[in-house]
Amino acid sequence: MSEPVIDSLVDQSPGVGAVCSAEPGCITCGDVAVVLTVASVVGSDAQCRDDGGREELVATELVGDVQPGDRVLVHAGVAIERVTER
Amino acid sequence: MRFVDEFRDAELAEVLGREITALCEPGRHYKIMEVCGGHTHTIYRYGVQDYLPEDIELVHGPGCPVCVIPMGRVDDGIAIAERDGVILTCFGDMMRVPGGRGSFLEANARGADIRMVYSPLDALRIARENPDRQVVFYAIGFETTAPSTALTVLRAAKEGIENFSVFCNHVTIIPAIKAILDSPDLRLDAFLGPGHVSTVIGCRPYEWIPRDFAMPLVCAGFEPLDLLQSVYMIMKQFSEGRAEVENTYGRVVH
Repeated sequence: MSEPVIDSLVDQSPGVGAVCSAEPGCITCGDVAVVLTVASVVGSDAQCRDDGGREELVATELVGDVQPGDRVLVHAGVAIERVTER
Repeated sequence: MRFVDEFRDAELAEVLGREITALCEPGRHYKIMEVCGGHTHTIYRYGVQDYLPEDIELVHGPGCPVCVIPMGRVDDGIAIAERDGVILTCFGDMMRVPGGRGSFLEANARGADIRMVYSPLDALRIARENPDRQVVFYAIGFETTAPSTALTVLRAAKEGIENFSVFCNHVTIIPAIKAILDSPDLRLDAFLGPGHVSTVIGCRPYEWIPRDFAMPLVCAGFEPLDLLQSVYMIMKQFSEGRAEVENTYGRVVH
């Protein structure tokens, strides 16, 4: 496993806007979405987990039927795209 | 970790940096704007600029919908929240944004009921659990976020939930880019296109940028190597005299 690229500038993040602390968790500012793996299907939702084992219930209507093992891009609790391995 | 470690490899970053440097025209200064705040986070978090030659300058984009929201829209949210029986819900990003009458946090201190949610679907759950209250979701965000709001409205309609509504403040990226390009004193050479917005809208909506302004735009992901690879492709376009829309985020932008 490779070492991460320089990680020492975290504290030097700029204030992007008047009140923005440029925190990675700012989901609208950072346009943040995460790749999760479908563990099980629960009606219109899917129980999904990340590579660290954290789980969340995700709405999957926008990407169609999913199966356990599928990888999806999740934003604000909603799967917005399937992830293609390339 | 899949999709992460392979995009944070320092040795590969150095190789890409050298290849980018080799494509620079001597004496020319390049300004490349990353439109998306998420790219700005990555650039600072991982020191991406350190892998680029001095002649390539990354210019930060217009900021996010939360940062640039007019104060009046914050005041509108507070006015809604102060109505009898209303629970206003919003993303955590919004809570500290100042309006003319303070922030949502300060409105809560005055007695309003404004709750942070991770997803608009959480707002719908609050409506389901509080049938005697009006639950309003303060919707904000670019194209990445708008589908989750739409999906929530559809679910509310399907379930017949009538005490749920949305105060829509969604915005779209193309007018923001147009406004940037219309600025009279602007000098930009290329754009790093927003990855997750492009997941939703695709790459075609950007085609007018190379056509009308002869500027490359490359849709980029959010890991350091995604950005460096995208800068490389922009520089490759310059070196070959091209201006096109290209995509390095094929994992989710189709």
